[in-house]
Amino acid sequence: MKKIKLFLSNKWAQLLLLLSIVGPGIITANIDNDAGGIATYSLTGAHTGYRLLWILIPITTALIMVQEMSARMGIVSGKGLADLIREKYGLKITFYSLIFLVVADLGNTMAEFAGIASAGEIFGVSKYLSVPICALLVWLLVTKGDYKIVERIFIFGCTIFLSYVISGVLSNPDWSLMFSSLLKPSVASIKKTDFPIIVGLIGTSITPWMQFYIQSAVVEKGISKEHLWHSKIDVIVGCIFMFVVTLFIIVSCAATMFNSGINITSAKDAALALKPLAGSYSSILFAIGLFNASFFSAALLPLATSYYVCEGMGWESGVDKTFKEAPNFFGIFTTLVFIGSVLVLIPNINLFNILIWSQVLNGVLIPLILLYIINLCNDPEIMGEYCNSFLYNIFSYGITIIIFIANILMIYFEVFAN
Amino acid sequence: MQRFKDLQDINLHFSKFLNTKIILNNNQKIGNLSDFFVDYEEIFPSVLAIQYKKNRQFYYIKWEDIIYLSYEKIIVNDDFQKGQSRTYPKASRNKVVTSILANQFTGETIEYPSIGHLIIDKQIVDTNGKKVVRVNDLQMIRSGQELRITHAEVGFSSMVRRLGFSFSLPIIQKILTKYRNLVPHRLINWKYVHAIPNKNINSKLQLTLSNQDIKKMHPADLADILEDLDTQGRNLIFKDLDNKQAADTLSEIEGDLKASLIKDKSPVDVANIISEMDTDDAADILNDLPENRQDEIISNISDNETQEEIQELLEYEDDVAGGLMTTDVFTVMENQTKREVVEKLKTEFEDYPILHDIYVINDTEKLIGTLQLSTLTISSDDTVIKDIMIDHDIKKLLDNSEWEDVAQYLSKYNLITVPVVDHTNELLGMISVDDILPWLLDEKN
Repeated sequence: MKKIKLFLSNKWAQLLLLLSIVGPGIITANIDNDAGGIATYSLTGAHTGYRLLWILIPITTALIMVQEMSARMGIVSGKGLADLIREKYGLKITFYSLIFLVVADLGNTMAEFAGIASAGEIFGVSKYLSVPICALLVWLLVTKGDYKIVERIFIFGCTIFLSYVISGVLSNPDWSLMFSSLLKPSVASIKKTDFPIIVGLIGTSITPWMQFYIQSAVVEKGISKEHLWHSKIDVIVGCIFMFVVTLFIIVSCAATMFNSGINITSAKDAALALKPLAGSYSSILFAIGLFNASFFSAALLPLATSYYVCEGMGWESGVDKTFKEAPNFFGIFTTLVFIGSVLVLIPNINLFNILIWSQVLNGVLIPLILLYIINLCNDPEIMGEYCNSFLYNIFSYGITIIIFIANILMIYFEVFAN
Repeated sequence: MQRFKDLQDINLHFSKFLNTKIILNNNQKIGNLSDFFVDYEEIFPSVLAIQYKKNRQFYYIKWEDIIYLSYEKIIVNDDFQKGQSRTYPKASRNKVVTSILANQFTGETIEYPSIGHLIIDKQIVDTNGKKVVRVNDLQMIRSGQELRITHAEVGFSSMVRRLGFSFSLPIIQKILTKYRNLVPHRLINWKYVHAIPNKNINSKLQLTLSNQDIKKMHPADLADILEDLDTQGRNLIFKDLDNKQAADTLSEIEGDLKASLIKDKSPVDVANIISEMDTDDAADILNDLPENRQDEIISNISDNETQEEIQELLEYEDDVAGGLMTTDVFTVMENQTKREVVEKLKTEFEDYPILHDIYVINDTEKLIGTLQLSTLTISSDDTVIKDIMIDHDIKKLLDNSEWEDVAQYLSKYNLITVPVVDHTNELLGMISVDDILPWLLDEKN
């Protein structure tokens, strides 16, 4: 231990440690690449090629703004998002909002287990084996283990996503076409059938539960107002990282599947995207990445949900407490893991559809959460002098309205125009 | 005055009064009730005025102007006085006994906030149950012609009522009478309610946590509360503790939180707190800090001996005897009499939280004997230590012993405390059984 301490006092080691002591922004970036994320991005690339690439820029900008607001709220107020919602809007609003959020999170948890099942199937392991075992492991890991270690391993494991970047480059994409698709927004190129994908893209990048998680993470770190800039940079860096990985997932899928007209209906198909890099090992590489992302998200997501629900309702929470001390906390966590995993086991259920539609559900719910966040960020009693500027408000409300419109259009085209 | 003619329930609830319409005798509407102003200086605060909102402005009507009050409507005098303010001027009465909440307002306050805004949906410290809870509702009673607040409600019933499902409560309660524990009707008596201030920008309403009840709490309970609070509330309470309390509480707090509480304090302040602790607890805290901070703080410790001892302790890993021990050990010489020892004890006893065994050393600090306090107590005043001490087969441990060995040693020989020596048999410190418990309970990992 002494030797490690000596080593750590070295400046370089400190820098390395700084990088590994992840800021909330980097956590976001990686959690966006969970099972639902990978599926949605893969689908986008395979089914639409480069056509929808330009949406990534506004989505990333929106993500940066939203994350920044949550981080700022956490730092200035020292409280979590559910806490602030409860204190400002009262019990009724909090309660009904939480119900919606929990339903969405249940969908997301299902998606994580679907991801575990899909990864397992690539290895030839039946979902009836992989899911129950992993559900049990997840439950034990959180209730008996140390979830901070979970966070660390997860983030380390996410370096696998760099393989998408490499694969994307190796697939020899049409760079000029890619850049022009990325930078030139063309609303005209959106087809009616694209809307679920668009809402899914939004929902998988800006998940409701992430906002609660980010704010709580910032609060827990005890970051002070003087370091506000530091956390803004951290958010931006994290989002850019996510943007790069997302971009290359789409590019890899576009290159390998769109051009050959291959449709993705299962995770196995999505693995094709890594062929330029890994050849015949692409499935294995993909499965490892998917499993890592799914397993740890399956642990972190229900845990985060339990925390913010208990925070909003005023119930005891904390992994270091016993079942008796915090019954609601452990109850919510266990229920989410249980139902999430059981539903995935339904025979003949399309795992890939779960992955996509859970993200769409996120996208539908996100305008509501955004409204709360923007409203709270404008309250001088909470934020003091750190309220949103007028321009910032215009942008934020604008984004919320656009997302809401996208939702409406999606519902219209999917439900009524069919 | 028949104010409460139609309000016959014994227990009244704040949430039921919200949005009740306020009217004049001729049914002309004035507004809807949004909050109450109460006299915080009473043990069970009485309502001084009601608040309503109109066109985004807050108004209040004094209690004297209210003719009739029920959950359905409130009738006020035709010539009522309307005050326009979000706050209510303090009723200046000299009370001897005041509630916790009143004490929390700093002396400069001349205006009070409304009670709902202050407490409902916010977190408070329950100084009786010693935990942090969130308030769902307030319980009130009629007392003569006045309305008083008696309890803060935090349980399931209050939650159901706030959600508007109170019609289902009797049914739920019937079903769950078997499982009374599951539906705790949690009421916190108002005298135990301790509000946690917001980062309130309006400085007229400064609430501080300078409160005697908090300080009377056992450090371990206070540590639990601090762990449950958010950063700001935590820092506010901690800031107010004197050095000794801060030291005791800090020792009971878990891991990362320790460091973050003293993060913003100057090295001098931290050194002062650390000096009030047992040296092993002090070393534990310093261990978690980066080295430059450690040095800063240590150099500020005024007592040289303490400084040295802490530095020695920091040399050890925290899982060996040297890292577990405290250097605060009560020692005597073999030629002293009981009378002399007792005199020494009288002046020093406060330094030793656990005094079970007395250790006998020679002039080169080598451990030559041990003596139980009970043995000393029953001896006569003239007895010489040498005659009653145990000088053979002294149970002791080397400073590099692993914690598991320490635990086994304590267990095997039924020891409450064990002296720690180096390879030359020089007495370095002692370990008591409460130092080992966290390791056995796996709390230190």
